[in-house]
Amino acid sequence: MTDQLLNLACGLFLLTAVGVLWRRELAALITLLTVQGVALAGIAVLLAVDQRHAETAGVALAVGILKIAVLPYLLRRILARVPEARETAPLVNVATSLLAAAALTLLAYAAARPLIDLAPSPTAGAAPVGIAVMLIGFFLAATRRRAISQIVGVLLIDNGIAAVAFLATGGVPLLVELGVSADLLLAVLVLQVLTTRLHAAFGGTDLDDLRELHD
Amino acid sequence: MNGVAASLGAAFVLAGVGGVAGLAVPARWRSAAVGAVTAAVGVAGAVSGVAAVSGTGWQVRLPGLLPLAGVTLAVDPLAGWFLLLIGGVAAVVGVYTIGYAGTSGLGPAARGSSAVLPVFVAAMLLVPAAGSVSTFLLAWELMAMASLLLVLSEHRHSRAVRSAALWYAAMTQAGFVVVLLGLAWLAAAVGGESFAAIRAGAAGLSPVVSGGVFLLCVAGFASKAGAVPLHPWLPRAHAEAPSHVSALMSAAMVKLGVYGIVRLGFDLLGGGPRWWWLLLGALGAVSALYGILQAAVAADLKRLLAFSTSENVGLILLGLAAAGVWAEAGQPAVAGVALAAALLHAANHAGFKTLLFCGAGSVLRATGTRDLDRMGGLSRRMPATTALFTVGVLGAAALPLGNGFISEWLLLQSLLHRDPAGGTVLTIAAPVAVAVVALTAGVGVVTYVKALGVGFLARPRGEGAAAAVESPPSMLAGMGLAAAVCAGLAVVPVVLAPALDRVVTGLRAGPGPLGGSSATLRLAGIASTISPLWIAVGVVGLAVGCAAAGRALGRARRRVPAWDCGDGPLTARMEYTATAFAEPLQRVFDDVLAPEQAVDVTQSAESAYLVRAVEYRRRLPDRVEARLYRPLITAVDAIGRAARALATGSVHRYLAYMLAALVAVLLAGVVR
Repeated sequence: MTDQLLNLACGLFLLTAVGVLWRRELAALITLLTVQGVALAGIAVLLAVDQRHAETAGVALAVGILKIAVLPYLLRRILARVPEARETAPLVNVATSLLAAAALTLLAYAAARPLIDLAPSPTAGAAPVGIAVMLIGFFLAATRRRAISQIVGVLLIDNGIAAVAFLATGGVPLLVELGVSADLLLAVLVLQVLTTRLHAAFGGTDLDDLRELHD
Repeated sequence: MNGVAASLGAAFVLAGVGGVAGLAVPARWRSAAVGAVTAAVGVAGAVSGVAAVSGTGWQVRLPGLLPLAGVTLAVDPLAGWFLLLIGGVAAVVGVYTIGYAGTSGLGPAARGSSAVLPVFVAAMLLVPAAGSVSTFLLAWELMAMASLLLVLSEHRHSRAVRSAALWYAAMTQAGFVVVLLGLAWLAAAVGGESFAAIRAGAAGLSPVVSGGVFLLCVAGFASKAGAVPLHPWLPRAHAEAPSHVSALMSAAMVKLGVYGIVRLGFDLLGGGPRWWWLLLGALGAVSALYGILQAAVAADLKRLLAFSTSENVGLILLGLAAAGVWAEAGQPAVAGVALAAALLHAANHAGFKTLLFCGAGSVLRATGTRDLDRMGGLSRRMPATTALFTVGVLGAAALPLGNGFISEWLLLQSLLHRDPAGGTVLTIAAPVAVAVVALTAGVGVVTYVKALGVGFLARPRGEGAAAAVESPPSMLAGMGLAAAVCAGLAVVPVVLAPALDRVVTGLRAGPGPLGGSSATLRLAGIASTISPLWIAVGVVGLAVGCAAAGRALGRARRRVPAWDCGDGPLTARMEYTATAFAEPLQRVFDDVLAPEQAVDVTQSAESAYLVRAVEYRRRLPDRVEARLYRPLITAVDAIGRAARALATGSVHRYLAYMLAALVAVLLAGVVR
């Protein structure tokens, strides 16, 4: 039962990442990210239930609050200040992006095989999902123009890393997860300031405008 | 408790105390405190070395000290020999530092430099004591970093210091990388990183692996040892570092490159095929010849001493190569003598080079110049320094009564007394090596006659030299200690015979080469003996006898003015300068040295036949550097410029690089 729920959560986790690549409305991106946060917190909760471990439950709670409530709230606040609704011209078009996501997912599964062989278990078997999401996040950040898309990309990377940590090791110490979360929160706050300033200076949030600063 | 453990532990604790003292003690007392502690670290290191060469082994594993690999220490007679050498040098230099660094709180007496000095000595002691690849590499890097900081001591003083430090940093890091690659490869191939495991597994290595490891590591070790063509850092760093640091680096640190080659070639890999040693011999021969030629024409005293270090390292490498070749050719007795010659020469060089660099520091402090052309007349103004420097010069010139003579004689014996049935290559290589040693020794005499004669005798040629005063007692005491050690090594080297026997037999390179020596060094397996004590007695007796006979039989001494061609009083401008003294040699080796000379003659306005002024300029660029390193630097520079095209300022581009790198790494993992 737990295994099936875990697989469901992992599936949702990967699907939302692919959805982020597919949708262009920035508001939809944030919604998908929230859903992904639910999936990640779900994975953590399932692990905590499976192992009857209070600390993992605490981690699940912290992750849930951060990924479902705090980060989407911050992103929506940015979106409200910057009147851009759509990712108009990504550097790689959506169809190619989806193909690339498929290739990256295959790569993740192939590359994670030795990792799974170390300790074959249903949870470790799902770890490649995390690596795939991380690669997709990277791809998103590298190919989308809008600053918010790139923040979402960075958050996908972090979600992927967190998922690998949960699935491969069966739970992260609370202290480590708190440190990572604080770091992430700070990164999003900095990006928020950057985006707002960028909008004020250039009238848009295309990060390639920053190229003018290059000597 | 084991004697080696106790004294080595004391050395490390003292080094920690010295580091803190360098930071905490006020400037007035800082040099005295740090110098005393450094000397104590050296004494403790030397005591552990004595214990180890007299047969006390020690090893320990401290798994908790470093993550993953832990720390492994293992001291055998070979390690002991180098501990003794480093400890001795540090003890002398510590005493010397008290007066040299002074109480100004600047340059070598600044907080940072003072704190790093004892740490540097401790790092050098840790290198031979290391018993595993990871510990060895850690100590090696610690030593490199500490010495780099010390080279930078006087960076406010001149711009050349920064350039020297940059060269040193780049070359020492490149050397570290190749040693790291080599030793990591070796450890992976035998499946264990402790020296014991490598020793056990070395017999099963394929020739490709052991040859590759040997080449990589020898490149790194030879660059640390300052062998040509891996030497360009050495004349720069030795010249620009404060003199006590130059002494430590040239006398002690450079020897650890030699230690690395001995440890790897003879101990860990247990000897190797002939081409290894012929290659090493070629490296040694080139270093010896090129080093002494550059030293002979150098006008900068510390540059001269630095190139002489290259030369002596070349001779040591030649000895190691001979030992390797003879061991491989089945002549263990001669191999043992060659190895003993190399190790003894390492110790002798440490002795006289400490003394010479300290002497150079003394001169630099008194005159403010390193340029021999601006010195002269120091024998009157600094009699003690001059006398002590002379002892060092005698050793470095490899003349009887000097300590270098004994080890070079041993080296020649090992090259001459070989079994003729060794194959064509050896029949050619051995006489060539003998010729190299002979030519090196000859040019060495010229070099040191120049250093002493032009630098210290006659009249001062510069204002600095004219105003020179004798150094403070602690500097003279340090140099006096070094001179006493040199004299001891020259007259009674037999005291080291049992230790050398133990080192050589410990390396399984041959039987004890100096077995059963008394006052006379008797070489085992070679019908050859030498008695330095009787040579010394004979030479001194003859000199005293001649002088006494001259007094007794000759006419009374008269004081008369020197012959001046009737052209008025002699001035300092008429003296032989260092440049002039080396000029004939420079002409002979014109093709090798390729000097850049310019003579500008200015005629008088009235007549073209009347010369008003002649200006002579000479530059002796290091040809190896110009031909080998300049193109490399230019190429790296060009690549760096071209790589700027990669950085366009586009964030997407940077993110794409990261993604591509990540995917490439994952793909590499999948494909493998």
